[in-house]
Amino acid sequence: MKARHVILMAAVVGLWPLAANAKSRLADFALAERIKAKVEAGQPLDIYVSYHDVSNEFAPFMKAGVERASADDTVNAQFIGPVGADADGQISEIETLMGRMDGLAISSVSTDALAPLIDRVLDAGIPVVTFNTDNPDSKRLAFAGQDLIQSGREAGKLMAKVLGGQGKVMITTIDAAAQWSIDRESGAREALEAEDGIEVVQTLNTGTDPQEIYSAIENAMLANPDIDGILSLECCSTPAAGTWVERNSAADRVKVVGFDLLDQTVGLVESGNVQAAIDQAPERQGFEAVNLIVDFLNGETIANLDTGVGIYTKENIAEVTDN
Amino acid sequence: MTDLVGAGARGAAMDRFSLASLLRARETGVFIALAVLCIFLSLATDSFLTSLNLLNIGRQVSLLGIMAVGMTFVLISGEVDLSVGSTYALSGLATGMLIVAGWALLPALALGLFTGAAIGFVNGVLSTYGRLPSLIATLGMLSIVRGVALILTGGQPVTVNLRNGADAGVLQAFSFMGQGYLFGIVPMQLVFFAVIAAIAWVVLSYTSFGFRTFAVGGSAKAARVSGISVNWVKIWAFVVMGLLAAFAGILSLAFLPSGQAGRTGLGLELDVIAATIVGGASLAGGEGTILGTILGVLIIGVMRNGLVLMGVSPFVQELMIGLVIIIAVGIDKWSMRRSG
Repeated sequence: MKARHVILMAAVVGLWPLAANAKSRLADFALAERIKAKVEAGQPLDIYVSYHDVSNEFAPFMKAGVERASADDTVNAQFIGPVGADADGQISEIETLMGRMDGLAISSVSTDALAPLIDRVLDAGIPVVTFNTDNPDSKRLAFAGQDLIQSGREAGKLMAKVLGGQGKVMITTIDAAAQWSIDRESGAREALEAEDGIEVVQTLNTGTDPQEIYSAIENAMLANPDIDGILSLECCSTPAAGTWVERNSAADRVKVVGFDLLDQTVGLVESGNVQAAIDQAPERQGFEAVNLIVDFLNGETIANLDTGVGIYTKENIAEVTDN
Repeated sequence: MTDLVGAGARGAAMDRFSLASLLRARETGVFIALAVLCIFLSLATDSFLTSLNLLNIGRQVSLLGIMAVGMTFVLISGEVDLSVGSTYALSGLATGMLIVAGWALLPALALGLFTGAAIGFVNGVLSTYGRLPSLIATLGMLSIVRGVALILTGGQPVTVNLRNGADAGVLQAFSFMGQGYLFGIVPMQLVFFAVIAAIAWVVLSYTSFGFRTFAVGGSAKAARVSGISVNWVKIWAFVVMGLLAAFAGILSLAFLPSGQAGRTGLGLELDVIAATIVGGASLAGGEGTILGTILGVLIIGVMRNGLVLMGVSPFVQELMIGLVIIIAVGIDKWSMRRSG
C-alpha cells in the first residue's frame, strides 16, 4: 500500500464525523409539483451549481466536475455564481433562477447571508445541498466537501510533524475574515496548540493580489526572523511562502505547509521549499454536488459526503506531475 | 495664446523647484508626514531602519509607484482611471501566456504593452469624444477588461515556468526583469520605477505635452481657446496610464511567476488613486507632481510595511491605512487654505 493511501485513509477516518451526519430522503421532503412531474416523466433535470466565486482558481475544476456529472441526457447541470466573492450577486442570481431550477447545490459566499435564501429555496420545494463550503445554519439536505475545521487540523498536525513539535509558527491567509479561513484557522490552531513546544506567533492577513501576498510575508518574516514554520490556510499564500523560502535559501530553517496543488505549489513541493500541500479534490466536489441532488430526486437517501483530503509531499508529488 | 498658457504652466512647474519656494511647496507637507512616520517606526521597531527592509519597501512600492506615475498624468488632465487594476492583470497575464506559448521575450512584451496602451486609448476616446465621464467609462472598462482576462485564461492561473513551455533563455531574461538586482543590490523593479519617474518628471516639467496636460486640467475651456487639442491631450494621458499599468502587470508576473485573472490587481485602482491623491494630485485636475506622487506612494508603502513589522492586527491595519489617507490629504488641504 502506498504511503499516500495510508495518509488518505487516516484523513478519511479523521473526517468520519462529517460522514456520520443526519440523512435526508425524498419521502420527508415537500417536493414542488412541477419538479415531481418532471421526475415522473423522466425529463432532464435542471440543476444549478452556485459556486461562491467563479473567477477563482478552483472554479474551472469545480466546473469540470459539474460537466462530468451532467454528461448524460438525464441531467442538465449549470455552473453559476458571482465573479468575486459577492454575496448580493450570488443571492440575486439564485432568486432569478429559482423558478426554473429542479435542484440547487451551493457553496456560500457568506453562511449568514445565504442561509435564509437556502431555506427559502427549500420551502419552495426545491432540494438544496451544499458543497465545498458548508452552510450548517441553513436546513440544507446534505454537504459534499472537505470538513474545513478538520482540514485545518490536518494542516496543523503536519506542521507540528515537520517541525518535530518545536518552533514558532505564523499562519497566513488571503482573507482572515472569511468563514472558510476562520474554520481552517481554528482547526490549525487547535492542532498546533496541542503541542507544548509550538507557539503560534500571529495570523497574517495577506490580501489577495500576488504582489500583496508576497510583500506581506516578506515584511512579516523580517519582523519575526525566528519563525520556524509558515502554515498557509489556502491556495495562494502557499506558493508565496514557498517562493520566499526559495529566494532566501531558507528551506533548512523555515518549513511551509499549505493547501492546494497550484502549478507553482507543485514545483515548490518538488524542490523541497514547501514540505506538504493538502489537496481538496475540487473536481470531485463539483461532481458529487450534482450527484447528491440527482440521487435525492431519484428517491435515494443522501447524507453528508466527505470528498477527502490528499496530502502531498516531496515523496509522492510525482503522482501529480506524472498526471 | 497657446504660448501664454504654456508659459504659465511652465512657470508654475519651474517655480516648484526654486529654493525660495521649497518650504511652501505642496510636497513639503507630504514629506514631513513621511518623515514623522519613518521616525516613529524607527523607534517602534528594530527591523524598520535596516538596509534590507528599506530595499524591500523600495521594491514593494515600485509597481504601485509606476502606476501612480501614470495616474498623475490622468488626474492632472482632470480625469480619473478606475480600470488600471484590470489592465495590470490582463497585460501581465497575456504576456505570460505568450511566453508560455513559446514566444520570444520582446514580441511578448510588446504585445502586453500594446494591450495596455490600447485600453488606455479606448478609455481616452470614451471619456472625450464619447462624452462619458471618465469615472463611468473606466468603471465600465474595469469590468470589461477583467472579463476579457477571465475569458482568455478560463479562470486558470498563468504560471510562467519551464514545465509549462517557456523557453529557458526567455524565462531567464523575463525573471531578471522582476526578480533581478542591479549591481547585485538594487531590485530591478525599483530601478524601473526610478527611471520611469525620472522620465515622467522631465515630461511633465519640461515638455510641451506636460505643460498642456496641466493647462487642460486647470481649465479645459481656457486650454481649448488657446488652441490646445484638449481631447488628444487627455487621450494621451490615458494611453500613458494604460502603458504603465501594463508594464507594472508584466513586472508583477516576472517577479512572482504566477497570476490569476480573478485575483491579480483586484482593487489596485484604489491604492493607486489614494497614493496619487496623498501625494498632492487633485481629483479636480490641474494639480500634481511626480515628486509628490513618489512621496504618496512611499507613505502608503511605509505604512503597510510598518504595521506588519509592529505586529498590528490585520483588521486594525485596514483602519489605520484609511486614517492615514484622510489625515494626509486633510493636512494638505488645510495647509493650502492657510497659504492661499
